[in-house]
Order: sequence, then structure tokens, then C-alpha cells
Amino acid sequence: MKAAPGSSLWLLRHELRMAWYGAAVNAGGRRRMGWASIAVWVVAWTLLHVGAFAVLHKMGAEGMANPFMAIPATLALVAIATFMLSTALRTSVVALFERGDLDLLLSSPLSSRSIFTVRLLGVVMSGAALYLFLFGPVVHVGLALGQFRLAGIYVAIVATATLMACLGMLLTLALVRVLGARRTRVLAQVLSAVAGALLFLLSQSFSMFSQTAGADSAARSVQRLMQSPWLAPDSALWLPGRAVLGDPLPMLGMAALGLAAFALTVGRTHRFFVHGLQEAAGSARAIARPAGALAFRFRRSLFDTVVVKEWRLIARDPHLISQILLQLVYLVPLLFLILRKNDAPGPAIGAGLALLCSSLTSSLAWIIVSAEDAPDLLQSSPAAGRIIGLAKLAASVMPPLLLVALPLLWLVVRAPLAGLLIGFVVVAAVLSAAMIVRWLGRPAQRSDFKTRGKENFLCSMFEAVNTLCWGGLGWLLVTLAAESGTAAGSTALMAAGALAAALVSLLAAWLMRRRRH
Amino acid sequence: MIDDTPALQLRSLRKAFGRPAVDGIDLSVRRGELYALLGPNGAGKTTTLRMVTGLLAPDSGQVEVLGTDLALDPAAAKRKMAYLPDDPMLYGKLKPTEYLEFVAGLWGIAAEDAEPRARHLLDWLDLSKHAHELTEGFSRGMKQKLALAGALIHEPELLILDEPLTGLDAAAARQVKDLLVSHVAKGGTVILTTHILEVAERLAQRIGIIRQGRLIAEGTLAELRERTLGGSLEDVFLQLTEQA
Repeated sequence: MKAAPGSSLWLLRHELRMAWYGAAVNAGGRRRMGWASIAVWVVAWTLLHVGAFAVLHKMGAEGMANPFMAIPATLALVAIATFMLSTALRTSVVALFERGDLDLLLSSPLSSRSIFTVRLLGVVMSGAALYLFLFGPVVHVGLALGQFRLAGIYVAIVATATLMACLGMLLTLALVRVLGARRTRVLAQVLSAVAGALLFLLSQSFSMFSQTAGADSAARSVQRLMQSPWLAPDSALWLPGRAVLGDPLPMLGMAALGLAAFALTVGRTHRFFVHGLQEAAGSARAIARPAGALAFRFRRSLFDTVVVKEWRLIARDPHLISQILLQLVYLVPLLFLILRKNDAPGPAIGAGLALLCSSLTSSLAWIIVSAEDAPDLLQSSPAAGRIIGLAKLAASVMPPLLLVALPLLWLVVRAPLAGLLIGFVVVAAVLSAAMIVRWLGRPAQRSDFKTRGKENFLCSMFEAVNTLCWGGLGWLLVTLAAESGTAAGSTALMAAGALAAALVSLLAAWLMRRRRH
Repeated sequence: MIDDTPALQLRSLRKAFGRPAVDGIDLSVRRGELYALLGPNGAGKTTTLRMVTGLLAPDSGQVEVLGTDLALDPAAAKRKMAYLPDDPMLYGKLKPTEYLEFVAGLWGIAAEDAEPRARHLLDWLDLSKHAHELTEGFSRGMKQKLALAGALIHEPELLILDEPLTGLDAAAARQVKDLLVSHVAKGGTVILTTHILEVAERLAQRIGIIRQGRLIAEGTLAELRERTLGGSLEDVFLQLTEQA
């Protein structure tokens, strides 16, 4: 279909093309997705269809018609809406303030209403795409099996994405006015990380509650809650879930709500811009803070200077911190396991601590070693590269080691042998992870933190192998500490194998190290 | 006794990225001189400066900074010079005071020497009132001035600047130009590249013109005019680069 130049459809095609370039641009800078990537997506989608078939076949039409299903469906939709909102905030900042093409579009003869309509549609699509991909197979298989009401999933996803896109765009307009575009984007990224972490912690706390209280007691508690009129399956609270399951009225209600929000948001966005929001956002950034007395803290050694500089740079980057802290969130359930009384430390603790510390170190080393902001400054200085390198490694390994120092000490006090073995594995995992990044890391931009694995496959592969080897060794050594006899012999053999694999991967990384300069 | 060792001596300097980027440049810059290196885009100016500052290893040839061979003793050579590229080497998440602390640490300047210099530079470049802000919020001119402060904190004898005036407003550009003139007046040496030919015409004692990796002409403005039909530096530059 050919759209007339300047029409809304034409503009929408331009928007989609820009989104495709953004998603498909690869390391070589080509704007085309590789065949391998396309194949992976197709295989994944096919597998999702197979999985959906297995689930729907097992549940049958009656299972899906169960009124209780509205509860998990609503909860899932709320969780998805949280992610959609953070995506909407991020994409709204880019679409309205950072892509830099709005001035061009608004100065053209195109109607400003159609410009903002298309821009908001773009935000809706970016929020909905992943979930349409994930849950589309359920709809398709449902339709094939005659469960036509499952088409409600499409309606619910698109309506939720629309509502969240509208909320995201209006929030962005308000936040940009107060904080400026850059800080709003950072806030959106932090919110996204926090949303993910909260969902993980909630799911873990529920599973821990079930374990602690016992399955029967947990089921009884849930049943008691369901008896409350607010939370009963027919409560209005679960209407979104009923829309997901294809109940016509809630489905129509959601669709109408989405359309109304869309129309309202386009009008408001247009008004905000006409009243000079961009200028207001710009002037908010330009306000200078009052100056105090100049205070310097020159350090005695180059080593200290570099370490302090690296920690300062990370501490002042909320987005990076949120990304790093996200990894630490996964440590929380593990800490509960460690600190639980009357139990000897299990092998999962050894493996878990090694895995977490190793991956945390890899992240920090990538930021500190690979993503140096001013490599030319360091290279054009007379400072010894060896000392700078050592300081950077120290800056990368110290935070993870400090973080696990107390839990490790606790373990050593409770079970000295297992604690010491875990300590050894953690230190080795941390040092190896940092060295691998030092040897194989490539110069990169901090903003590429999330996609670092894609940019340097070799380094990521070595990081993964190394992490798994030390994690495996942690598991085996703790198991070994509790075993005796023949079983201990075979575990020791496996532990030796894991240690050898870790050392071989380190050696291979050293042999393949990048020559600097 | 006056030391007549050149501030910078290049001998047959070569670098190729597939095709030659710098093709056997011989150059000598005297102490206490402001030398402008001019050339069209892609002529090899930045590549030359990056080799001089040790950021790029030459394929062949020799770089001597104030009598020290860069290849033999890079630390000693780097200690005497400072480099300011067109994109300032800053950390957005550091404040100006912290940036200067870091640069002083890299050059191994003692705190008792570094602190008064840092205060003076921040005051002189009107950055003191922004000393508690992160540099990521700075304008292009403020960033350039802070990078200059970083370059000057170790009091280099040789200052190398790549397009130092790009994107600066009139006031900031004037401040940078004054700073360069003052550095030369104190006996320092400045080598700069610029596309703003009026700057070279007004400030430079000698001018070198590079085209396709070769130094095609060198001398004072008067000497260059003699080689061509005369006129402004712009006329001379265009005649020389089109002739070659």
C-alpha cells in the first residue's frame, strides 16, 4: 500500500522505519537484521506456539473458563503494565526530546495533531510489541482450538499498552518540565530496573512464605483472602483479567478506555508543545547552582586517584547503579538462605555467591576498564599504564568482595571449612572475571552497558564459562565438605575438573588477550 | 645559554590506514613559537598530532619532544607536553575540581603545587562559580575551557591543540586565544590546527600546510605569500592546496 507523502499513514511508515533501524542496527552499523537473528526469532516464536498448545491442550476450554483464572490474568496484566509504563517513559523522552526531529516535523506543513498521533502510536507499539510476541501464540493456538475468547489477550495487551503509553507520555511532559529531558530518561531507566526487581522480590517472598508457612497454610491464607468481597473472583478488581479472558463487556470497556486516553493525550501533548515546553525544559537545565568555596582533595598516589575517580563516576550514574543493583537484588533470597539458623550452608550458597560475585565483577570491570570515558587522556599522560590498569582492577573487584565479606564471615563462623572453601571460590571467581575483561574487553561507551554482550561475544563467552566453572566448583566443594567415603572421591574428582576448566578458560583468555596500543 | 633544541622535531613521520594518512612529514617547531598546522579535511593533521602525543604509534619516523625521543622515553616526553583534542577529554560525572585533581594525579603533580594552580586556572577561566557542578551539564565552551585548565595544570612547555576554537562563542574564543598568546609570551610553545584561518593569520608566527599527508608549504605568512600570488591567508591556503 502506498501512502501519500505527508499523510498520517506516510508518517507512521517513517516512524516504523526508524523503529526498525533502531532495533535492527548491528555492530557493523548496518541497518539490517542478520539471517541468524531472524532465524532465532522465528524458532523462538514457533516454540512459543508449541508451548501454548501444550498448556491450552492440558487446561482445555473449561480450565480457561474458570472464574478464578481472572485473578492470575489480572495480576499478570498489572505486572506487564508496570514494564510497559517504564518503556513508555523511556520511549516518550526519546520520541519527544532526544530524537531531535520534532522541530523539522513541526516546521513542515504536516498537521501537528497527526504528528503527535503517530508519535504516540509509536510509543504504544514499542510497549506492546514484546508482549504481542510472547502472548500472540496463545491467541493463535486458542483460535485454532476453537477458544475464540482468547482473542481478548490481543485487545487487553493493546489497550494496556495504549493506557501506559498515554500515562508515560503525560508523565514525561510533567517530569521534563521539572527535571529536564536527560534526568527524566535516567528516572525512566531506574524505574524500569526497580519494577523488574520488585516483581522478582515479590515472587520470591511468596515462594519463601509458602516454604516457611507450609503449602497447606499458604493455600488456606489465600482462600481466606478470596472470601473477602473485594477480592472474590467476581470482584470488579479482576475486570482486566476478565478482559484478557475475552469477557465481552470488560474487553470493550478496556478498548474504549484506551481510545479515550489516546485522544486526550494527543490533544494535551499538542498543547504542551504549542506553549513552549521544549524551551521550558531547556531553561530548567540551565539553572546554575550557587557556588561554594573551592575545595580540592589531591591524593598522594596515582593508584588512589584512579580508584576514587572510577567509584565517583559509577556512584553518580543512577542508571548504571540501577543496572548493577538489579543483579544484587537476586542476592537477597540467597542471603535469607545463608542467614537461616540451624542449617549447614548448602552447595547452592557456594555456587550462588560465586555466580553473583563473578557477574557483578564482570559488570564493574566492563564499566571501569572497557568503558573508560577519556582513554586518550590516560594515554597521553606520563602515568604508568601498569598502575592505571592495577587501580582499575582494584576498583572493579573491591565492591563485590566488600559486599560478600560479612556473609562470608558469618559462614566461616558457622561452618569453618565450608565457609573457607566458599571464600576461596568467591575470591577466585571475582579475580578471574576482572582479568578476563582486562584481557578481552574492547573500548566501549557506558551507554552500551545493556548490550555489551552483543558487542563483544568472545569476552561474554569467556565470562560465562568462567562464572559457571567457579559456580560449579563452589557447589562441589561445599558438597565435598559434607561428604565422606566413595561419594567424596567422585565429588573431589568433579571439583578438580571444574577447577581445571576454570584455569584453562583463564589461560585461553590470556592467550587471546588484546594487544593494547 | 639559550637552549636551541626544537620544541618538536618530526623526522620522516609516516602512518597509513590502508592508504597513507601521514606520508613522511619532516617538521621542526622552535621553542616559544605559536605554530599553526593547516590543511583541508582528511589531510592528516589530527593523525600527526595523535602520533606526536603518543596516542598513535607511527609506522616509521621519529618524534622528539623538547629533545626527548617519544619512542625511547614516552613518559618523559609526555610530562613536558599537553594535548587538547577537538572533543575535550572530560568525564561528565566529575566536577571541575575533581577533574583537575585527577589530571594532576596522572601527571604526578604534588598537591601543594597543584592546588594553587587549579584555583588560579578555574578563576582565570571563569569556571570557579561552576566548580560544584558536573561537567556533563556544561556548554561546549565551558567544557573546552575546563579541558584547557586540565592541559595547563602541569605547566607544559609544549601545548598541542586540535581545533581548539570549534563551537566556542566569541567570549570563550577570545579567552582561549588570550591564553595561547600568554603561554607563548611566557616562553611556552603552542602547536594548533584550525579551520579558522583568521586565527592562524593573527596568532601564528609560522604556518605549515598539510595536504594528503605531506607538508606542502611552511613559513611565516609573508614567506607563504611570496610563494603565491599573495592576498589573505585564505587566498594563500587555497592557492597552495589547489596547486599541490
